[in-house]
Amino acid sequence: MSRPTETEPPGSGGDLDPPENLHLWKLPRGRHGLPRELVARSQRERLLAAVVRVTAAKGYQASSVADILKEAGVGRETFYKHFKDKEDCFVAANDALVGNLEAQVREAYQQPGAWPERVRRGLAETLQWFAANPEIARVMMIEMGTVGPIASARFRETFRRFTALLDDGRGFIEDAPELPNIAGIAGGAVFSRVYEEVVLGNTANLPSLMPQLTFELLLPYIGEEAAAGERDAAAELLKEGTDSPSG
Amino acid sequence: MKQDLESSSEPGVLTPSVPWDIGARTQQERILKAMAKSCAEKSFSATTIADIVGHASISRATFYKHFANKRECFDATANSFLSELQQTAKVARATSDGSSSDSVRKVMAAVLELLAAKPNHTKVLLVEAPNVDPDIVRRYRLLILEALGAQHQAERPTISAGANPEIAFGRAKVLIVDYLAAGKVKELPSLLPELIYIAHLPYLGQDLALQQARLGQ
Repeated sequence: MSRPTETEPPGSGGDLDPPENLHLWKLPRGRHGLPRELVARSQRERLLAAVVRVTAAKGYQASSVADILKEAGVGRETFYKHFKDKEDCFVAANDALVGNLEAQVREAYQQPGAWPERVRRGLAETLQWFAANPEIARVMMIEMGTVGPIASARFRETFRRFTALLDDGRGFIEDAPELPNIAGIAGGAVFSRVYEEVVLGNTANLPSLMPQLTFELLLPYIGEEAAAGERDAAAELLKEGTDSPSG
Repeated sequence: MKQDLESSSEPGVLTPSVPWDIGARTQQERILKAMAKSCAEKSFSATTIADIVGHASISRATFYKHFANKRECFDATANSFLSELQQTAKVARATSDGSSSDSVRKVMAAVLELLAAKPNHTKVLLVEAPNVDPDIVRRYRLLILEALGAQHQAERPTISAGANPEIAFGRAKVLIVDYLAAGKVKELPSLLPELIYIAHLPYLGQDLALQQARLGQ
């Protein structure tokens, strides 16, 4: 059974191909085939989007390569040209999603400003990103944990990379050698809370946690008083955001 | 159980030297241990009854004498380890001077030692339980936070430093799970200062929590 050689659009061979439009990765999709834009994109990204949708719909363990092929509308040979197996494909999809989230968080965090304010912006970006993509959040936070050792190692790397952004704040707490994992302690507050909301299906409400999570994230670095100031600033922004429809 | 055996040092018809259910008890313990082993190796969802009876060297019929299904066995595994942790915490607390500073330090140290000594059970409680049923985690979070809250409440009835205790629990869990995932389970006791800090943060605030962490080093 030979299939016609598929011609790849330029730029599809890279390791990381962050999705340009996450809507295409989400459920539910149109019933009558794939959106036209998606067909036009690379085979690889079609497979990445498909593994995310299939996993969101039936769970990682229960889904098969055949499900992914059907969802993506590509042949088995194409799949194995890009990926070793289901796990490889899933991990690549997760990498692409993390790449997309990370680019946006870094963009927000790197804008000039005082460090606590930059952290607040990065956090807001994170919560908004997950809230806008609840099925994807579920796949990245929960399904990722059921895949296996490679995915788990990747998960830890991601957590470390995000919390490493907080290292710029070490200057605020120079005399705390008793907290070598301070970034994990700070970031763990956000991660565990977000995880819980995703499990409960409350992902869309994450941005409303901004004041509390800003406080908990900054607390180990800057103490109660300063963290409360940032919490209040976050609450103020949240109020403005919900008051004005333009957001 | 050691005490049971010692207290019946003069066996008679009414005080047999070996408890009547010791066979069943050790059998059940073997099953729980087998469940923990398989969960740690391949996750709860991938674990089969065949894995459990294989690890425990028992028959399938024996398994079903103790448990109706895999999930019931998992719950028993998680609950029995939880009881063991509670018992360990109770003993450690009894050796403290009763202050929150001393009892948190001693309880945390004892708990970390136990977690490090039983990596499979630790994975069941911290990695698998949240996947199987988040309610299990919520239940033991409540147990821990009630005990911690009562401990602090006794000393400073009005204290609330602003940080949320549930989030403190989340921080501790993330830190420990990260060590497990990195294969550093034996090094868990080195997290003592940080866990002391995390446990005190919601009640004492940043400065005093840092002081306590320093004492734990």
